[in-house]
Amino acid sequence: MLTARRRVVAAAVILTGSLLVTSCGDSDSGSSDGKTLRLWHYEGPSSAMGIAWKEAIKEFEATHPGVKVEFEEKSFDQIQKTAPMVLNSSDAPDLMEYNKGNATAGLLSKQGLLTDLTEEATKRGWDKKLSPSVRTTSLYDTNGVMGSGKWYGVPNYAEYTLVYYNKDLFKKYGIAEPKTLDELTAAMDTFVENKVTPLANGGAAYPAQQYLYQLALSKADRSWVDAYQLYKGKTDFHDAAWTYGAQTFTDWVKKGYFSKSSSGQNEEAAGVSFTSGKAPILFSGSWWYGRFKTDNKFDWGTFRWPDSKLTLGSGGNLWVVPKGSKNKDLAYDFIDITMSKKIQNLLGNSGGVPVAADASAITDPQSKTLIDDFNTLSRNDGLAFYPDWPVPGFYDVLVSGTQKLITGSEKPDGYLSDLQEAYDKGAPKQ
Amino acid sequence: MTVTVERSARAAGKGAAVRPPRRPRDSYALFLLPGALAFLAVIVLPFVMNTYVSFTDWQGVGSPEWSGLANYRELMDDSEFWASFRHSLSMVVAMAAIPTALGLVLAAALFDYVGKHFGSRTAAVLRACFYLPQVLPIAVAGIVWSWILAPDNGSLNALLKAIGLGSWQQDWLGDPDLALYSVMGVMVWVQLGFPLVVFMAGLQRVDPQLYEAAELDGAGWWRRFWHITLPQIRPEIYVVLTWCSIAALKVFGAVYVLTKGGPGGATDVPSYFSFTTFFEKTQVGYGAAISTVLTVVILALSLIGLRLQERTDS
Repeated sequence: MLTARRRVVAAAVILTGSLLVTSCGDSDSGSSDGKTLRLWHYEGPSSAMGIAWKEAIKEFEATHPGVKVEFEEKSFDQIQKTAPMVLNSSDAPDLMEYNKGNATAGLLSKQGLLTDLTEEATKRGWDKKLSPSVRTTSLYDTNGVMGSGKWYGVPNYAEYTLVYYNKDLFKKYGIAEPKTLDELTAAMDTFVENKVTPLANGGAAYPAQQYLYQLALSKADRSWVDAYQLYKGKTDFHDAAWTYGAQTFTDWVKKGYFSKSSSGQNEEAAGVSFTSGKAPILFSGSWWYGRFKTDNKFDWGTFRWPDSKLTLGSGGNLWVVPKGSKNKDLAYDFIDITMSKKIQNLLGNSGGVPVAADASAITDPQSKTLIDDFNTLSRNDGLAFYPDWPVPGFYDVLVSGTQKLITGSEKPDGYLSDLQEAYDKGAPKQ
Repeated sequence: MTVTVERSARAAGKGAAVRPPRRPRDSYALFLLPGALAFLAVIVLPFVMNTYVSFTDWQGVGSPEWSGLANYRELMDDSEFWASFRHSLSMVVAMAAIPTALGLVLAAALFDYVGKHFGSRTAAVLRACFYLPQVLPIAVAGIVWSWILAPDNGSLNALLKAIGLGSWQQDWLGDPDLALYSVMGVMVWVQLGFPLVVFMAGLQRVDPQLYEAAELDGAGWWRRFWHITLPQIRPEIYVVLTWCSIAALKVFGAVYVLTKGGPGGATDVPSYFSFTTFFEKTQVGYGAAISTVLTVVILALSLIGLRLQERTDS
């Protein structure tokens, strides 16, 4: 029989143990009854994708009577930082949005945490709807390298970079829309002469490295991109394209096209300096489009980076079906709905870049330009992905190095050597 | 509980004299059990797991591959890691040395001068003002400071311009030569309230007769501070120095919010370096090695601090 003291000790241990167990979390890990679809994504509710996916949920519930979509809104950071752990647990959702690229979806596919969607992609015709350059990020080989192998994700929107410009400011200084790089630099010279810093920039985030990569891309071709992004050949950071990119970027800092103080600014500050009418030009992604439509209080337009066949861009983030998904068929049905004309057209008219829309259904003229430009790029195989993709952690290396170029604490040659070292350390051995 | 035990002992026909009464410490130990188990689950177990991971090559998913001391060897040659540790020492200056020195002078001034001449309520209000940054979440404070220090529309540059010092305007967080000093300045502001409150509490227990006697002997404020205040609150000084140094070595939030370790790694600190290695580069084994080294350094520092404290207490 337990003495009173032992009873107390036992009770304390049991109580503490149960507290610890419950504190470790006991979330409902879903059921496989075919009545619930657990869905995670991180698109803001007012973004084009957020609007489209909300409509897709409605459509899904209408076509699947008795099935409920349990949607959990996550943040980009949350999913980026915790996905491997979540997917390894029984808490994985049935369907989730995840980042595309070797260091993210590629890594998870290599570890066997994602469902192979090849059969579904063929059966449901997703493979026909996506152009080859958009499809690149859906396919991963056994080493987790994108571009070939099996389907592990489905992008149903796309993104690319373009030049946003403030038409009112261009008019004010008598500048026409630039059609060539020479005209663009002449326009920037005019702004500098008038004490206006022409380019909105953010050195502490992705904008600065994307300017530099675009400059390099203007001297590159598809095989250069394949070598850099898909490891199909050697990448030499001291080649003509990279050298031109780093040198021109440095020259542009010296000429005052970028402000010196942009080294410590993030992408938000870059966007705000454009929307506030301070900087007349911002080169960045189509993901700004919807926001500029509501925030810009001036006449503005877009054009593709002049004199370059290639630009940054890719299929958008992916729908992935975790290995532990308990309702895979429901997940496939939901992906199918997001690929339907109705949802794709809604996405296009909300300021996004659809991958399978009906061109005639896009009614907004600005959106039409955005989507036509993308379709041209896609047709001409002009999407060159993003500079930070090839190696995990390369984003930080690029941020840090590009900041040094802006502040003048590093020369282009040293910058490129730093990139080479980090790339060689992280890229798969050839 | 003791009553219950005694009652059951009597019921069993055993007098209290049969068994010597338990020392109170035994029954207190029981109260420590939940905390001890939680400590085991939340601190010790993850630390042991982290140490194990630091000897492996692992991307966070799949099976870790045993790599022995490879991560530690790489760490020794990693200039970024050593740079982050150097920045940590700057943080110790900003979060321990400067706030302790300033806190001492301010505490003595508030206690000995403001309290006497303007009333204890005024001293209490001022103390609360200094302590406010300690209460603010660092994320909130960091975002507000990033607005203040912004290069183009920041209030600090606007203020400099307004008072005719436009040439002093700087890119406070974007210039690699300045960023670390800017972050240090913010951390001094954040940390100052803690030593101040501790020292003012310490000063409460100093015998006022000591000050009176010194004053009668003609000692000025500074001499009284040097010869009475400082020696009397030495234990508090050790506590504050130890506590603040540990906080400085662990600093993460401020760097994350203000600079993300930039520009060009100029403000990187070990905890942030470990975080990016872990999550951005998915080099989990290497990130764990950085955390382990940091933990060992902090533990060593804590032990030294405790030893010094014991010595002064005795």
